[in-house]
Amino acid sequence: MGRIWKRIFLLLSAMALIAVTVLLLIYFSPVPPSEEMESARKALSEAAANKADVYSRKLFNQAKVYYDSAMVNWQKQNKRFYYFRDFEKVISFANLSEEKAIEAESNSISSSSNLKSNLQQKIEALKNLVTELDLLFNNYPLTEETRSRISRGKMLLEEAEIAYQKGTYLQANRKLTDSEYLLTESFGSATENLKNYFESYSLWKKWVEMTVNESRRNNDYSIIIDKFSRKCYVYFGGRQKYEFDAELGKNWVGYKRVKGDMATPEGMYKITKKFDSRKTKYYKALLLNYPNEEDTARFRNEIEKGSLPPDAKIGGLIEIHGNGGKGIDWTEGCVALTDKEMDLIFKITKVGTPVTIVGSMTALDTIVNK
Amino acid sequence: MKNKVLMGLAAIAMVAVLSSCGKVPQEKIDAANAAITAAQTAEAAVYVPAEFAAVQDSMKAIMAEVEVQNGKLFKNFKNVTVKLDQTLAAANQVTANAAVKKEEIKKEVETLMTEIKAVIEENTGLMKKAPRGKEGAAVLEQIKTEMATIEASVAEAQGLYDKGAYMDADNKVKAAKERAVAINTELKDAIAKVKRK
Repeated sequence: MGRIWKRIFLLLSAMALIAVTVLLLIYFSPVPPSEEMESARKALSEAAANKADVYSRKLFNQAKVYYDSAMVNWQKQNKRFYYFRDFEKVISFANLSEEKAIEAESNSISSSSNLKSNLQQKIEALKNLVTELDLLFNNYPLTEETRSRISRGKMLLEEAEIAYQKGTYLQANRKLTDSEYLLTESFGSATENLKNYFESYSLWKKWVEMTVNESRRNNDYSIIIDKFSRKCYVYFGGRQKYEFDAELGKNWVGYKRVKGDMATPEGMYKITKKFDSRKTKYYKALLLNYPNEEDTARFRNEIEKGSLPPDAKIGGLIEIHGNGGKGIDWTEGCVALTDKEMDLIFKITKVGTPVTIVGSMTALDTIVNK
Repeated sequence: MKNKVLMGLAAIAMVAVLSSCGKVPQEKIDAANAAITAAQTAEAAVYVPAEFAAVQDSMKAIMAEVEVQNGKLFKNFKNVTVKLDQTLAAANQVTANAAVKKEEIKKEVETLMTEIKAVIEENTGLMKKAPRGKEGAAVLEQIKTEMATIEASVAEAQGLYDKGAYMDADNKVKAAKERAVAINTELKDAIAKVKRK
């Protein structure tokens, strides 16, 4: 019996020794870096939730690389014997990962917020530009290329707005950049074109003054057509009495050069004939003395210079007539009013009434600033 | 003799208990990783980004827990195993959700495509009825250009759809539809204006 107790005692002592050794091993082993790793992982997760992978990609990727390095080092250290484990590098990488992730998150929040606000401003600015383009050039015969660029610019703006609403700001930004380029470039070239058109403004202004003065001097009616605003103004005794919407030739920009160019001429004319509904298919019509002396001189000059072919014809039959009110420029160069307006103007005018057609009665700067 | 047998059995039982809990569940880890890769292939990052990020984060946490256990004398991967099962299920769910969302967007694009084609067709018809006058309307030139741009955009969206990039196709076709509807209204207004006259 005594031998058995001796053996049990020895066994228990050995077990106690092993237990103490194990406990000492555990006690003196380096503490695993689980807390640091947990903090780094959480920081990475929060950064990702705030789209740092999109808006602060570089910093976020750095944080990820540090985290992966920490994991690799942790695995490496775990393969070593307890006493020889060293988690210093793991902790250092984990801390760096957390630091970069926090930085990436903060950077992402501010970048996306700034981008959002910039995009909002840019969208508003481009929408205003589109409105301005529509106001100035919707009826202005721009080149097909310019129209196509404006159209593509508008489409990209629409796509950018959709991307913005979905919160994909980088995509919205790319679309807006392309849209901005197309729209501003088109606006620039169209405005340049318009400036060329307005080069004759001082002459138009003079014609308008002369026409109004003539109306005042004769205490009679005079008509002024403003092509750019598509208005027909009737003056009596030097004062504006009526204002109508006018419709012009399809290619109304610039003076009329040749027969069939669909342009509405610019100049100081007079009514030469009045046609009632039996003599015109456009309800009622007032025939003008186009071409006048200036038109003929300019036409001959162009033939001589060779800018027009020798067999070109100057054209004629420019009228103020009815059948208007379509809201578009549709004539071959005439000025169209509604039949009701035609009734009035037909009644108050006579052969010899001055009709002045100008590119614009308002200066370009005033129009643009409106 | 009886005592020796009992002690031997106890030792075997202890080893069995310790070894059953102390082995890294590599197969389960591989299965969970494969499920995450499958979710990625199913474009979960595009269609269900938040859910996909959550699964990735869970996997990161599990791998950290594996290392915690690896560092211990008496390893216990029971909790890790449970979490791996959960993550595997979650990853599979994310894949399924991504597929559902993708199908949803695909259907939306198909509907939008049908709708926009109808609007384009209507606009083409309206163009014929729109006021032209003697020489054709200057305003219609701009509308024609806009229509060409819309049709080009729809063709681009179709290309994206064919490639399976439904999200991009969706954005494009939505924008094109907005423009097409705006033109439709413009044309109808112009026609109504002439009719009123």
